[in-house]
Amino acid sequence: MKRLTAVLAASTALAAPAFADDDRIVVGFATAESGFMQGYDKPAQDAAIIRIAEINEAGGLLGKQLEVVNADTKTDRAEGAKAGLSVIDAGADMVVVSCDYDFGAPAALAAESAGLISFFLCAESVKAGIQGVGPNSFSASVLAAVQGATMAQWAYEKKGARSFYRLEDTWTEYNKGICDGFDWMLPKLAEAQLVGEDSFLNEDASIAAQITRIKALPEEPDAIMLCTMMPGGVSAIKQLRAAGITSMILNGSGMDGSYWMSAVPDLSNFFVPVQGSVFGDDPNAEVNAFNAKYKEVTGGDPATQYTYPGYVMIDVWAKAVERAGTTETSAVVAELEKMVDEPTLFGPRTFTAELHHQNKARYLIVETTGGKPAVVDEWTISEPIPVADLMK
Amino acid sequence: MASLLQVLFDALSLGSLYALGALGIALIFGVMRLVNFAHGDVIAFSLFALLWPSTDAVAIVFAGNLPWFLLIPFTLAIGAGLSVLSELVVFRRFRRANPATMMIASFALGFVIRYFLLMLFTSRPKSIALLPALSQPVEILGARIPLLQLITILVTLAVLIGLTLFLRRTRFGLEMRAAAENFTMARMLGVRANRVIMGAFALSGALAAASALILGSQTGTANIMMGANVMLMAFIATVIGGMGSLAGAVLAGFLLGAIATVMQVILPPDARAFRDAFVYGAVILVLIFRPQGLLSARGAKERV
Repeated sequence: MKRLTAVLAASTALAAPAFADDDRIVVGFATAESGFMQGYDKPAQDAAIIRIAEINEAGGLLGKQLEVVNADTKTDRAEGAKAGLSVIDAGADMVVVSCDYDFGAPAALAAESAGLISFFLCAESVKAGIQGVGPNSFSASVLAAVQGATMAQWAYEKKGARSFYRLEDTWTEYNKGICDGFDWMLPKLAEAQLVGEDSFLNEDASIAAQITRIKALPEEPDAIMLCTMMPGGVSAIKQLRAAGITSMILNGSGMDGSYWMSAVPDLSNFFVPVQGSVFGDDPNAEVNAFNAKYKEVTGGDPATQYTYPGYVMIDVWAKAVERAGTTETSAVVAELEKMVDEPTLFGPRTFTAELHHQNKARYLIVETTGGKPAVVDEWTISEPIPVADLMK
Repeated sequence: MASLLQVLFDALSLGSLYALGALGIALIFGVMRLVNFAHGDVIAFSLFALLWPSTDAVAIVFAGNLPWFLLIPFTLAIGAGLSVLSELVVFRRFRRANPATMMIASFALGFVIRYFLLMLFTSRPKSIALLPALSQPVEILGARIPLLQLITILVTLAVLIGLTLFLRRTRFGLEMRAAAENFTMARMLGVRANRVIMGAFALSGALAAASALILGSQTGTANIMMGANVMLMAFIATVIGGMGSLAGAVLAGFLLGAIATVMQVILPPDARAFRDAFVYGAVILVLIFRPQGLLSARGAKERV
């Protein structure tokens, strides 16, 4: 009996935070602190925590301080569901989940069934939101398809590219998303022509056969749309250039950053869409100030643009809470869905009752010349990609 | 003509990579009936040994900055060293265990190596400019091919010739062949088992390091999972080559490289994503018609 009382006492103590005391708001991070997703989750989470600290310094949200609770998903889907439950038990008012749809969904579903808002740190699949989780789920990033569409239209309008080649790495949904966006945009460009297409696997040691097909074309295409990501992307780019192909290479944001460029010395004619520049040359001075702050807090510069969605996430959510005057889920979701071109540090954001993701966004275009990346332009696709096309 | 030649080079260079891996596995299988699944992780380790441990996104290249005439022996020594160490620490204790137990032990060893790398370097792939001079295209009979492809093919041929000479012309090679044929009999005739096995591990490790150098200069990326795909293909090559047959492993390695390349060329775009399914389909066909492998090792046959 004594033992039972002890157990009961212990469980009430554990459960206590669930009845959140009213002077704080809890943000729960069910993200990867170990395993391979950690490399992707950590930077965005650090950025989110910087925004949380800023809000707290400015007096908090609805007069309350924001608090952070963590649970490690260990880059494991089963652990992800547990991590979600664990931050919900710790009293989370909002649940932040892993960057990737597959790894974040278990925790997001746990939040959904507890009636809480969930935010994917930087997932770029349309499933990361209403379509794959439920009406209270959002993603802080921009759809992969927008990246492919942006690159196609920008290269056509600004670089005069007419002949395009499509090279798709069939490994992930993200890669497919980029190429889907490219496919959607291409027919809208009057003189653009698809001169060939091919696919490879991210883990392929060699893409020699794919390169031979490109070289067999009567003339080199103006641009190659390369739908891929780390680590196979580096290998593909290295091999394309080693084979003497000099076409423009258009990419998704997955190839942002200069940390891998030592592998392809003197890379040129290489283009990546980014939400903000990590190279210290963002046209918005506040972004550069954020980079400095990030370095101060974490000890290093942001490695890629995937740091930024974490900041945007807390920013838009906090605004919605402020406007709703409560953290109550349906009220906050309603406020988020009212956002049309809501200004953020990294471009305007829109959420609707159909889509909790960005199907149109402003992108900066980073060109790498002689191994040096720099922002050269910015581009917003002329019309949003219809939800029906995203669900294909 | 030029494009046909190009396809031939593509097939040979991919096949070389698989052949080198298959040879590393077949060597050890030959002397101790061990399918060493840690081979892929030895490949990853050999490449990571060129970097300084760090959790930053940017790789800190350390030994990788050595000039090529030091870099190559250094990497080969790392591979051979790790492989010998794994024999001393792990496999020696399983000498009398059945092959299935040894195979599980090799899986476990592979995990240990992989997680050791994960601990030191994190899961982020690291970029490294290895032997950058090889990333230049060269022109041969109208086909423009990367210099590295040519070197890969030449290196593999050199390794094959060297290994053949070693196995045919030296005493140690003779002992190794004898051990592969019939281990118990060889021991009875005075072949020192530990020395032969150690030699096989050292050679196999050096071959893993050679694969690491080729993969590293081709992809420019060190990734803790990088050995897995090559290991799988190499293992399949040893199986269809005839377990324990060195020549068979090499032949099958080249065959797999050729099938994968040709499939990529002839399949329609929509089916190319499923290229590997066709490759494995071809593997199944080979095994249906020659279950003992293309060239079966004499020692591996069941004796009634």
